[in-house]
Amino acid sequence: MLADHMLSLLIFSFLVALFFATVLHRDRKSFIKSVLKTMGWMVLGALAFAWLMLWTAK
Amino acid sequence: MPEQSFQHRKAYAAALLTFLVPGLAHYMLGRRGRGLALFAIVMSTFAMGLVYHGALFTPFADSWLYRLGAIAEMGLGALFFLGHLLGWGGITTARVIHVMYGYGNTFLVTAGLMNMLLAMDAFDIAIGRKT
Repeated sequence: MLADHMLSLLIFSFLVALFFATVLHRDRKSFIKSVLKTMGWMVLGALAFAWLMLWTAK
Repeated sequence: MPEQSFQHRKAYAAALLTFLVPGLAHYMLGRRGRGLALFAIVMSTFAMGLVYHGALFTPFADSWLYRLGAIAEMGLGALFFLGHLLGWGGITTARVIHVMYGYGNTFLVTAGLMNMLLAMDAFDIAIGRKT
């Protein structure tokens, strides 16, 4: 169950990061950097938000 | 002046093409690789939404939240209407209580919003605002 949530988070953030990198970047280096940066922040942000929800529910 | 009018018509046509097939305008404007990649990304997001039991909302729903979702999903253009015609993503009890329903909706709404951004991007390229 938790693995399903994590998997959808990874797929979602990957697709969104890929989309913005494709629209905004031309060279390979900045493209990869943009994908990793966007994906990383999305995953971290979502996990932080989930933790906050868990913490406030206690 | 006539040239400017032609540019504007071309730009609107490009935006319209995106609503027919995601990425088609980029492809037609000479950005073939990018057009194909954007098509694959938007279609994958849309497909993931359907796989995750997301719903294609209707703009005539009772809930304003569903109506907002429908506006975002309408960004998919032809795919949205085709989906409704073929009965994909209809709101059923089995779908709504499915554990992945919320994720599915997020994927579908995001696919619609991505396509709206693509239409604006194609418009900017066609009008010469983006090099």
